Amino acid sequence: MASLPKRIIKRLVSDPVPGITAEPHEDNLRYFQVTIEGPQQSPYENGVFHLELFLPDDYPMEAPKVRFLTKIYHPNIDRLGRICLDVLKTNWSPALQIRTVLLSIQALLASPNPNDPLANDVAEDWIQNEDGAIATAREWTKRYAKPN
Amino acid sequence: MNPQESSPKKRFFFEDLEEDLSGKALRNEESLLFGGHRPAPENPVSEKDEVSEIRDVIPDLSHSQAEMLLLKCESCADRSERISNAVSIYFENQSQKERSVPEANMPLITSPKVNSNFGVTKKKDYGTRLTKKPKPSVQWRRFIGSIQVSALATRPTVQPLKYGCELQIVCAHSEESASRLFNGNGRKRTSMANFVRLVDAERNREVGRVPENVARIVLPLIDFDDVEFEATMIFCDNKRLSVGDSFVVQLDIFLTSVLFEKKPKSYNYDSREKISYSQSNVESEDEARSRARRIALLGLFDEVNMVSIDDSTSEDNEVFEDQTQVIDLGNYDDDNDNETSSITPEPKQEDQLTESDTLNLNQLKSIYRATLSTDSTRFLPETTPSEDDFALTLRKYQKQGLTWMLRKEREFDLAAAGDSSNQFDEAKMNPLWKKFKWPKDLAWGAQRLLNNLQEQQNACNGAFFYANLHTGEFSKEKPILKSVKRGGILADEMGLGKTISVLSLILTVPSDREFINQSQNFVAEARNSDSSIITSSLQSSTEMSKEDYAFATTLIVVPMSLLSQWQQEFEKANRNSNIKCEVYYGNSITNLKTLLTKTTQPPSILLTTYGTVQHEWSKELGRSRGTRELTRTNGLFSVEFFRIVIDEGHTIRNRSTRTSKAVMDLAACRRWILTGTPIINKLDDLYSAVKFLRLEPWSQAGYWKSLVSDPFEVKQYKQAFDMVSTILDPVILRRTKLMRDADGKKLVELPNKEVLIEKVKFNRNEDEVYKFFLNRAESSVMEGLARGDLLRKYSTILVHILRLRQVCCHLDLLGSKDENDADLNGKQLCQPFDLKNVLSRNFKESTRNFDERSFQNAVVHIRHKYSDDSELKSLECSVCTADPIEPINQIVFTECGHAFCQNCIMDFINFQTSRKQDLKCPNCRTFINPHHLLSVAESGSKLDLKRFDDSSYSSKVQALMKNLSRLQEASSGEQVVVFSQFSSYLDILERELGSNFGDKEAKIYKLDGRLSLKERTTVLKNFANKDPARLKILLLSLKAGGVGLNLTCASRAYMMDPWWSPSLEDQAIDRVHRIGQQNDVKVIRFIMENSIEEKMLRIQERKRTLGEAVDADEDERKRRRVDEIRMLFE
Repeated sequence: MASLPKRIIKRLVSDPVPGITAEPHEDNLRYFQVTIEGPQQSPYENGVFHLELFLPDDYPMEAPKVRFLTKIYHPNIDRLGRICLDVLKTNWSPALQIRTVLLSIQALLASPNPNDPLANDVAEDWIQNEDGAIATAREWTKRYAKPN
Repeated sequence: MNPQESSPKKRFFFEDLEEDLSGKALRNEESLLFGGHRPAPENPVSEKDEVSEIRDVIPDLSHSQAEMLLLKCESCADRSERISNAVSIYFENQSQKERSVPEANMPLITSPKVNSNFGVTKKKDYGTRLTKKPKPSVQWRRFIGSIQVSALATRPTVQPLKYGCELQIVCAHSEESASRLFNGNGRKRTSMANFVRLVDAERNREVGRVPENVARIVLPLIDFDDVEFEATMIFCDNKRLSVGDSFVVQLDIFLTSVLFEKKPKSYNYDSREKISYSQSNVESEDEARSRARRIALLGLFDEVNMVSIDDSTSEDNEVFEDQTQVIDLGNYDDDNDNETSSITPEPKQEDQLTESDTLNLNQLKSIYRATLSTDSTRFLPETTPSEDDFALTLRKYQKQGLTWMLRKEREFDLAAAGDSSNQFDEAKMNPLWKKFKWPKDLAWGAQRLLNNLQEQQNACNGAFFYANLHTGEFSKEKPILKSVKRGGILADEMGLGKTISVLSLILTVPSDREFINQSQNFVAEARNSDSSIITSSLQSSTEMSKEDYAFATTLIVVPMSLLSQWQQEFEKANRNSNIKCEVYYGNSITNLKTLLTKTTQPPSILLTTYGTVQHEWSKELGRSRGTRELTRTNGLFSVEFFRIVIDEGHTIRNRSTRTSKAVMDLAACRRWILTGTPIINKLDDLYSAVKFLRLEPWSQAGYWKSLVSDPFEVKQYKQAFDMVSTILDPVILRRTKLMRDADGKKLVELPNKEVLIEKVKFNRNEDEVYKFFLNRAESSVMEGLARGDLLRKYSTILVHILRLRQVCCHLDLLGSKDENDADLNGKQLCQPFDLKNVLSRNFKESTRNFDERSFQNAVVHIRHKYSDDSELKSLECSVCTADPIEPINQIVFTECGHAFCQNCIMDFINFQTSRKQDLKCPNCRTFINPHHLLSVAESGSKLDLKRFDDSSYSSKVQALMKNLSRLQEASSGEQVVVFSQFSSYLDILERELGSNFGDKEAKIYKLDGRLSLKERTTVLKNFANKDPARLKILLLSLKAGGVGLNLTCASRAYMMDPWWSPSLEDQAIDRVHRIGQQNDVKVIRFIMENSIEEKMLRIQERKRTLGEAVDADEDERKRRRVDEIRMLFE
């Protein structure tokens, strides 16, 4: 069980996921700066979203903490960037890797689930006026998630 | 006597009382009655009569006062007893009043009005008193106090004795030999009162004798000129005396110039005489006389209530109970104390108790504070050792230390001269001496007789005088304490570089220069001079002849573990190729004496161990059995060294050990003790140091006992501490890391130290086993407490406690008998403990849970998945992504056939259980049963699946591993120290860490008492070499690593288990946190939650505040032990 983050980094580096990057912070190997590209055919297409990921002391028994830094209009992501995702909560298993977590987040962008909302207003908007909501999401992506 | 005459007298006696009762109606006209009729005793009497009877006895008493006195004595049935009680109460009050007057035992004539009364009447009334011709030897005398003596008439008188008439004190015994008065122990044989008579000076007729307590003071002193007594008739009821009547006499006491002159030999009780005295054990007549004289002086000072003045702390004056006693060297039996105390007034018990209560409880600290001579050391000049000799650079305070040490060796020319080089031995008063203030002259004569001239006072002006009541010596000048021995105690706190400091001293003064000079002179003058030239250094030596003097060798005695460290330090520090260091250990040197005294270049430093010294001493002793004299033919005891240094000098603190005795017997001109902890357990630890340094006179056991140990026993801490600090102040130098130099900078700027407690939770197994042992222990303790014989079962309880502590560490410890466990040292374990029994009893249930069928199903399932052994060898743990899981005994399968590292799955199970979350397989999310786990075992060449036995899985070890892994991931090249007090725990740690960390990740070293000197050195050397790629872990047992080691290469330490004594734990941490440490130090202490370890922390806390049993006597210690056990189990 030695050198956890190093192995993770190795894995992330050797087995990169398209559209996802994760780089450990220089001072703290448990803190990662993450980018996720918006999945194609989703309102987030062409956006690059910044996230932060932190491995708590009890990791891997406890799930990593992940948060969007980029503003995003999504029914399962609130204004603070917190993410409602089962594998980050109750369905966490120590067998899950960082890359699986990040992949799950990418998948969440592809298929928002307004029936299990975290951001209530967004979810309502999504349910009542899906097109309008998607348009807002696109607009936010264009405005906030500009790729550099 | 008529009423007019009694008027001034009344004032003289009773003024205070009157003032006290001024609220009452005082009928002065009644109080003036003097010489009323004593009612015939046979008359039936009422209370009224009693009153008047009292007033007959005490004529100045008012009626109401007499009634009050009687009221106090109502309990007495017998009438005459009641009256006599009342009278005695009155006089007691009286004398207390007198004593309560501050400082000088002033009597009560204070108001000018009264004085003028005297002036008119007195001179006339009492006429002139014969001015005694002073004896020719007496140049002056001075009043020191008076005593009211109730004397007993021995002859009837024709007339009442006149008030104020002079009585002479005559000793009837002058022909008696002292041996009749005293027996061999200096105790008196007969009543001294028989010999002291009062004689009416005018009629030259004996009138009475004084009571025993006064006679004891007067008799031994009266024949000498140094104290003079004057007796004055005060009160005899104004009637003629019959035999047996009592009358009151005022005894004025004067000290004369004789006392302050140089004493004739017989008084001069110097230490040399004492030695012979205590050895022969027979008291000569002179000695008996002198002893009686000293006791008498002591009693005298008590009677007149002379209070010594404490210069340093003037505000303490009143609290300071002067408990001086005559010190009886050699045979200080209890009777003797009784005798002395019969003279001294009963010590005021309550006062002393409150005094000791208000003392700072942490007495070790206060001792240290007393020995921290901040001011004097802060301004010491710095001596820089010559660069030709000394290769290292000393720190500022070390240079000051060198100055101090050079001064202590009287090498003033080499020490940097300060602005005041002699100020160092600054005027410290000899602690055996007390300072006294001359009281105002209140003698009868001086008060009443104006013709009594003042000429005496002029002869001796000065407000103070000094007295050594222990020896009966007096002086007008302040007796200055001088230390004559060369050497001292360097008691700098650990980590301040005592070794370096002493090496700088040795390299600066490697040999006895005086001796070399003088022996050169000697050679030059040898032909024309007689052989009486003896060097001064040899004079100070014992019976050694000149040939045996190793004048250029310093012997350093160190604990074995530090031998090589000293050697290394020496190599580092030495730059002078002529100076060599030899190790005297084993059979390294065959003819030591020749090497040291006959060769042209003897080694400047001879390093040896306490063991060697002790061994050689025992051998010498054995060889010379019968003669009781060391033969001193060869070896350490055959020469006198130039200098001896004992490192970790507290090793000899118990002077009854062989090692201690052996070290004491080493001969040397200069003696040094190095220790960071001069006191380990008790104040008496210091005595060994004093004895080793040969500090006279305190190295006499009798002195130490009566000045330090005894006051300490009776809880007069202040006195004991004052004494200790006066004794040690001149010879001890102690600096702490926290001290600041003259510029206000800390002596040592060490990096920060952070000590964290990491609480660890028991896992299920441990919890069960712990509860099992806790129940057993608790019932045993409760039983003991209930019966009150807890301590008789102490060792049983210690075993119980040990078990609990072992469970906290690792269940595997339970089976082992650990030789390093201090608690059970030397005690027989009640029974070898059978771990399996307890475990199987406890775990039958849980193991049975994994029934055969499920087990076989699981095996089939797994075998189906991984049919080949090679597949088992390349399993990946999906939790930590270890790939493959190594070694294979770490593999644990769930029932659903998924493989994990043992640590990962146990971590997971414990984590989920502690959060009360479901136990699902991390891989497939099916529920798993924590008891249905399988592990892989090698059986021959094949791999087998078996039930996983988690009984020896330790949460604490796990916590350590987690920490180490995290450390390793942060920076791989760290060095860490892991401390434990169980050496078998270190074995387990070695095993488990080894199986957890690959060789590439970490290197594990272990140092415990089982290693030889050579192995130790290798281990420490290898550990100190930094390896940027690997974590280096040193497993260190407290016993082996507690002292001296320098582990500053590591900046992290883990304490696996708490120790009883917090100071030992601190000491261990200081191995890492000491000079040379570059980084911040982080220490993590693992403590099991809700376990005995948490309670041990509380006991540590308590020890920190109370000080470690330093102040405790046996009872107190017992009580504390019971308290502690109670704390453990409440």
